[in-house]
Amino acid sequence: MPDPTQEGKGQTKEWKPDVDMPVVYFQGVSKSYGRIHAVSNITLGLSGGVTGILGMNGAGKSTLFKLLMGKLKPSAGEIRLFGTDPWKNPAPYAKVGFVPEHEKMHDWMTALDFVSTFARLHGMTRDQANTEAARVLDFVGLSDVANKQIGKFSKGMRQRAKIAHALVNDPELIILDEPLQGCDPLARTTVMNVIRELGKMGRTVLVSSHILNEIERITEQIIILHQGKLVALGNLHAIRERLDEIPHTIRIVGKDARSLAKDILEHPAVFGLSFPSETELLIQTYHFGSLHAELPGLIVNNGHEVTLIDNPDDDLESLLGHLTGGGA
Amino acid sequence: MSDKPTIWRALDRKAMAVAEFTLRQQRKRLSTWVVMGVGFVAMAVLTMFYIDSMMREYEAIDNDGDSRDFDMDGYPNGQENLYGTDILDPESHPGLLNPPVAPDDPSKWINEDGFDIDSLSEGSYGYDDDGDCRTEDKTDSQQDTNNNNIPCDVQIYAESYSNNFRINGDNEVDEDPDEDAYAKESIHRAFVLALGKFGFVFLIGIFVPLFMATGLIRDEMSSGTMHYMLSKPIARSEVFLYRILGFLGLAWPYMTGMVVLAALVTGFFGPSEGFFRFGDLGVWMAILLASLLSLLVYAMLFCLLGVLWKHGIILALPFAAWELGMILTTLGAPDAAILRFSVIGWAMNIVDAGAALTWTDTSLLVALGLWAGGNTLGGSEPLTGSLALEIFASDSGLGMTPLVTIVVSVCVMLVQAATFWFIGGALFKSKEID
Repeated sequence: MPDPTQEGKGQTKEWKPDVDMPVVYFQGVSKSYGRIHAVSNITLGLSGGVTGILGMNGAGKSTLFKLLMGKLKPSAGEIRLFGTDPWKNPAPYAKVGFVPEHEKMHDWMTALDFVSTFARLHGMTRDQANTEAARVLDFVGLSDVANKQIGKFSKGMRQRAKIAHALVNDPELIILDEPLQGCDPLARTTVMNVIRELGKMGRTVLVSSHILNEIERITEQIIILHQGKLVALGNLHAIRERLDEIPHTIRIVGKDARSLAKDILEHPAVFGLSFPSETELLIQTYHFGSLHAELPGLIVNNGHEVTLIDNPDDDLESLLGHLTGGGA
Repeated sequence: MSDKPTIWRALDRKAMAVAEFTLRQQRKRLSTWVVMGVGFVAMAVLTMFYIDSMMREYEAIDNDGDSRDFDMDGYPNGQENLYGTDILDPESHPGLLNPPVAPDDPSKWINEDGFDIDSLSEGSYGYDDDGDCRTEDKTDSQQDTNNNNIPCDVQIYAESYSNNFRINGDNEVDEDPDEDAYAKESIHRAFVLALGKFGFVFLIGIFVPLFMATGLIRDEMSSGTMHYMLSKPIARSEVFLYRILGFLGLAWPYMTGMVVLAALVTGFFGPSEGFFRFGDLGVWMAILLASLLSLLVYAMLFCLLGVLWKHGIILALPFAAWELGMILTTLGAPDAAILRFSVIGWAMNIVDAGAALTWTDTSLLVALGLWAGGNTLGGSEPLTGSLALEIFASDSGLGMTPLVTIVVSVCVMLVQAATFWFIGGALFKSKEID
């Protein structure tokens, strides 16, 4: 009967995850809106570890997550979350934490309220929820401001509050949609550490981003989406290796670009140089990896003063360009 | 602390969490307080009119015209009738009798015998106190013009085919209701019914859910915050129900407070022998029950319309107009079959049945006011308040006893609420959320 004091342990009829299935399973999944294919024919199985989902804006990352969270119904194919169809049954969310991309939050709540209110939707009592909320807020480094209104938080703090709310049920699968967007460098580091920590704890983590080196700092296992299609899946370095034969550009800004160029030209991997301005040097190379590794030594040994080393090509856009044959 | 895992405990925790969240969310919104404040001010203004009408004195009117002096001889007609002189002949008046009689002040013949309106039912009433019916020069049949074999009385007949009454008095028997007491009693009843039906059940019952419940699900769907709630192991139809519960957590106490306040104000200002009219509490309970149920049903319906379409309020407005038409129908034709297809028709049944249980003599009171003392001379005017009471009091349209009517109507409204919940939950479940 109703239990206003909320004492005692309660659980509805037990939902059992299917242990023979991967945690996340997509089989030929497509989602289209009229003629637009947000996601097309994705087949994927994931269990354990941190996986980065890379893609430009509009590549279908959020759609993929919303399909997995039962917010959207697939146009074709099968989705299983712990072996259960999430569109039909919300029970598997007991083991999932979802950090949506949306900026909008319940600004009138304090962080502690926010986290503990939604913890109670997992069937916790008020006391359990408060204890758990305090624990996860501490985990994401928000315990000092737990009683402050979310509306007064910075973007990074808001992201961390969202992550805390997703972790409160100690989930086995954590899905983070663009968690680093809008974070200042400090918050970024904190969030990244939290994600890495979760990976170490053996949880399955899905993180999406459109910035390659963000993902690179978190995990090596990546999935690349482009225009709704899965274009690459696997270890980031393995994917890169395949791309090593493709020309890369490195941009160096320093005091004396011309004398630096002389030293760099001696490196066997370099096949072209250009000087867009007095202090700027662009290097063309086929072996980005080896040159990038040796470059700092080369500069220091020859006593050059350099203010910036940048890889204008080493972003998702050019990676996608190469993967899809120059179409990005 | 029991550890028995039951479906109830888990459900209950989620229900409390969502309802509590919704309640706090509504409480933080300015619009909530604006809507409730406007509702309160509207009811308060109506109540001011009521208080004003209770503080006023209602002037007595000469129901039968015997304070007038047709032959201008200085003696009012009533006095001439009493002494058997000719009311149309200035040369015939009681002043010429032996011993001569001084003329009465006409005001003596305005408010004649009071008619006790507190205990009325079918039967023979009254006595010709002023004696102008029982004069000796009248034959038996002249003294018994209503043919009930009782001379000089007023007979109240209950019509067998309806709840209405017919009043038939013998000529010159005035049994004149006290205009002031009658007006206050009938205006009081009319106001309680009008405020209950139009103010609480209709205006507050529809407009508070219209502004507050239509967005319960939709606002969160549009802003993207629904993702937080729907990423938890909770079914969407549960979310729908618990959001409504949260809304009711605010709307029900608000409605209860307003109804109690209105009951107190009308209880203290209304006509009564004691300091407070306890006798109205039955009607107020029926009004409270009907208004709480209409909040529930309309909240379910409007929340459903919000889920259906992002401009759900546009769908809700024609519905509110329909309900307005239906509540007007209940006033004139409470038994119209079309009322079964409304929410307000059932709510009105509850109020009318409650009023029928509490004020058993309302239709007689109306009949009495329209009879207005049985004017035999000059034009008859209904007593102040009788027309208002006639408008706002109706029979409950189901043709059952009041208690059965209440039970049936409550059940129907609960079924309506459950149906809207079921449809709303199913719609919500089929919605994709971006």
